[in-house]
Amino acid sequence: MANDRGTYREIEHTADLGVEVTAADLPGLFAVAGEALYALIADPATIESRDEISISATGDNPEDLLHAWLCELLALFNVQGFVGKRCEIAHISDGQVQGRVSGETLDLKHHAFHTEIKGVTYHDFKVWQEAGAWHARIIFDV
Amino acid sequence: MATEEIRLNRLEDYLWEIPRQGGMRVPGRIYASEKLMAGLRSDNSLKQVMNVAHLPGIVGYSLAMPDIHWGYGFPIGGVAAVSVDDGVISPGGVGYDINCGVRLVQTGLVFEQIKDKLTRIVETLFSLIPSGVGSEGAIAKLSKPEEKRLLREGARWAVTEGYGHPEDLSHMEEGGRLKTADPELVSDRALERGLKQVGTLGSGNHFLEIGRVEEIYWPQAAHTFGLFPDQVVILIHTGSRGLGYQTCEDSLKVMNKAMSNYEISLPDRQLACTPIQSPEGQDYLSAMAAAANYAWANRQVIMSQAERAFMKALHVSPKELGFALLYDVCHNIAKIEEHTVDGKKRRLCVHRKGATRAFAPGHPQIPADYQNIGQPVLIPGDMGRYSYLLVGTESAMEKTFGSTCHGAGRVMSRAQSKKQSQAINIDQEMARRGVVARYQGRGTMAEEMPHAYKDVADVVETMDDAGISKRVARFRPVGVIKG
Repeated sequence: MANDRGTYREIEHTADLGVEVTAADLPGLFAVAGEALYALIADPATIESRDEISISATGDNPEDLLHAWLCELLALFNVQGFVGKRCEIAHISDGQVQGRVSGETLDLKHHAFHTEIKGVTYHDFKVWQEAGAWHARIIFDV
Repeated sequence: MATEEIRLNRLEDYLWEIPRQGGMRVPGRIYASEKLMAGLRSDNSLKQVMNVAHLPGIVGYSLAMPDIHWGYGFPIGGVAAVSVDDGVISPGGVGYDINCGVRLVQTGLVFEQIKDKLTRIVETLFSLIPSGVGSEGAIAKLSKPEEKRLLREGARWAVTEGYGHPEDLSHMEEGGRLKTADPELVSDRALERGLKQVGTLGSGNHFLEIGRVEEIYWPQAAHTFGLFPDQVVILIHTGSRGLGYQTCEDSLKVMNKAMSNYEISLPDRQLACTPIQSPEGQDYLSAMAAAANYAWANRQVIMSQAERAFMKALHVSPKELGFALLYDVCHNIAKIEEHTVDGKKRRLCVHRKGATRAFAPGHPQIPADYQNIGQPVLIPGDMGRYSYLLVGTESAMEKTFGSTCHGAGRVMSRAQSKKQSQAINIDQEMARRGVVARYQGRGTMAEEMPHAYKDVADVVETMDDAGISKRVARFRPVGVIKG
């Protein structure tokens, strides 16, 4: 899957679901990783950007920060039933990320629900820079 | 190290060992037939067995059951016993779904009595037992004080609230309640997630299956359990829902930060742990116990809702239906247990991540009415072929810290399974297998089709032949609901 900020692809894992994300910069990586997470929960083509929610997270390094950001996005779904369609990053600095998610509350009658995600695992969790691009590898427990 | 480079010594027909090497504190031991072992060569689960062997305080072996497959941190199907005095507790060795487990309910009906009404039963079950995804709940949303009472009381809370019967409690591990639970150690976010998910199945591999007793291997045990040929039974597979997932996430964050204080270094961050006796370790065990209690209450409410669904669909009284809990097992949990190691009794914390307790006949923690037979072990299959009832043995006590397998074990990735499912009509395929299925998400169903799993018969046969658990009965699925 690709959009204007980067790309992601599902990776093979026996029991769980994983994605590999690539983007030109760190804000793009965080935005696309967030959109990939929501796309595993429900088909984004069926989700409308009806509401916008601000999210922030903290972490000591890019890995911890991305992990914390994804946990916050997952909590939006798990606590409020909110599914994001698009993520925007306002800024990333000094161990903090601030961003916005637009989407709507999941309605099983109208949205193509896929699966519940139990957690963003630390297993094989990686953020790295290579050939001028940022990459992340994430495995979700489903 | 690539999986194909891992040295394996075959000790017995069904037992393989990975010798101690590098930072491993104990060897790895894997129960598998040659056929199952051939499949393991293509995934990362053997490497994960080696990683678990690095845990401080691990005793004996890093064990894997024949349904082992690649998980996160621990392999799924992994067992690790650590010393309570100087060992560690690892939330990843329990998993996100704390006290995910299975319960087996028996009825007084035979298949012939429900055959023509099966679709109606499945649809009524589907409407009374929601997945709990998004905003739907099964029972009225709890208040926080009520939820905390549930976290302290476990299944007993559900019975007090009118879900099921007091006699159900004696047929669950720990009586459906870990006394060490402390709801004050469960985060606000976890509590928030738990308010409206009691009585919900969840998605992923969770399901409720109606089965018929297809084969009895050990008549005396079947008689003790009240099983007879063609009897209608129900298997419920689910856990602690969002409250448990959040508790795992919260504790992993704490332990990842705290590990360096205890000078612990491990090959996978998902194995994050602290000493059992540390404040972080004790807090996790108390929060984990609260989440485990949530799971028992959840399965208890689901069983009661299933009873209502059967009564409604069949127009029968509770007496005619004869719903009774045969047993309830946990397969994602860490328990403090006493085991004999090298002739000495030791208190150990046994992590079972996708593995089932399998205590031998006579063990004091087995219900009084099952003392002569052994602890029931419930092995759900792939929703299409069969599920099993086994019992624990003395060999399990000696060799696997009283543990055995927990299910079929995946053989195909979710992406592969989904691809294969595109070529078939899921409903027709399930109907061809004689199963009426209702599900919330087509995607989940496509990933969870029977073709994605090992043949559970191979897994169960391995444990039976190795003497770790003994087959009692096999069930053929006829109806399934899934989130």
